[in-house]
Amino acid sequence: MAEISKEKMDQIAQMWNARGKGLITHMALEVEDVSSEGVRVRMPFNTDFCVDADQTLLHGGILTALLDSVFGLANFVAIDGVSTMATLDLRVDYLRAARSRADVIVSAHCFRKTRHIAFNSGSIWFDGHDDAEIARGTASFALTRGDVSLFDAMTKGKAS
Amino acid sequence: MIDLQTVNANIARVPFFRFLNFEVQSLDSLHATTEMTFDVRHIGNPIMDYYHGGIIASFMEATAAIAVRPDFTETPAKPINLTVDYLRPGQKGPLFARANVTRKGKRIASVSVITWQTETDKPVAEGLYHFLLV
Repeated sequence: MAEISKEKMDQIAQMWNARGKGLITHMALEVEDVSSEGVRVRMPFNTDFCVDADQTLLHGGILTALLDSVFGLANFVAIDGVSTMATLDLRVDYLRAARSRADVIVSAHCFRKTRHIAFNSGSIWFDGHDDAEIARGTASFALTRGDVSLFDAMTKGKAS
Repeated sequence: MIDLQTVNANIARVPFFRFLNFEVQSLDSLHATTEMTFDVRHIGNPIMDYYHGGIIASFMEATAAIAVRPDFTETPAKPINLTVDYLRPGQKGPLFARANVTRKGKRIASVSVITWQTETDKPVAEGLYHFLLV
């Protein structure tokens, strides 16, 4: 599989970090590694996403949100000329209680792409504990292809 | 049966539930209906101002957890896994969810959830959630 250019990788990281509003901004995601083989993203620990009074236990939903977001990023990178992308379905297994104050690391990749559909899988663990996966997910996305890619629309700040 | 006011007060104590910003509207032993207020931090598509799919899934999970264990005081029911089917974009505005406990055994519960906005027959997403009760 072709490696993507350093320039595109930097643009993608920049686009993500400069969205300005929305959940991804609030999650303060940091893109750690991007290639056509997959992506790895870090989410700093955030008490807003906890369910307990001690604020050490993350809600499962935020892990689901994280997978959904990072699948989207993996598709951006792996597929050329995507105009729009919508999650069709998503399945997540919560493998153990997400109890820690460490940063959360997500790794995701697109394992199959067709003209209309992309298939993804990904995994989540706490930083430094990659032997103790906390969640695993798979999803499928509906793609539309066109001249104006979602990537271009977002980097240029206008809707396609 | 626990009253709505108490449930909503317990919800307000959960940081992530405050982040989602929703209230329980009705409750019985097998169902819960909730309403979430739209906020900029819920956006997934900043061009169209649609809800983030993960926020919709989180809201459905929260509603399902309340249906299965409305009398939680500290942490909500423990989720095992989920499947979500996204049917339409969630647009700027209130989002409603209804959770139906399909089966509640001694150890495990199955809950189906549906979300909609202006018309109940135009669902935004449907989900199936499992919880561990022990």
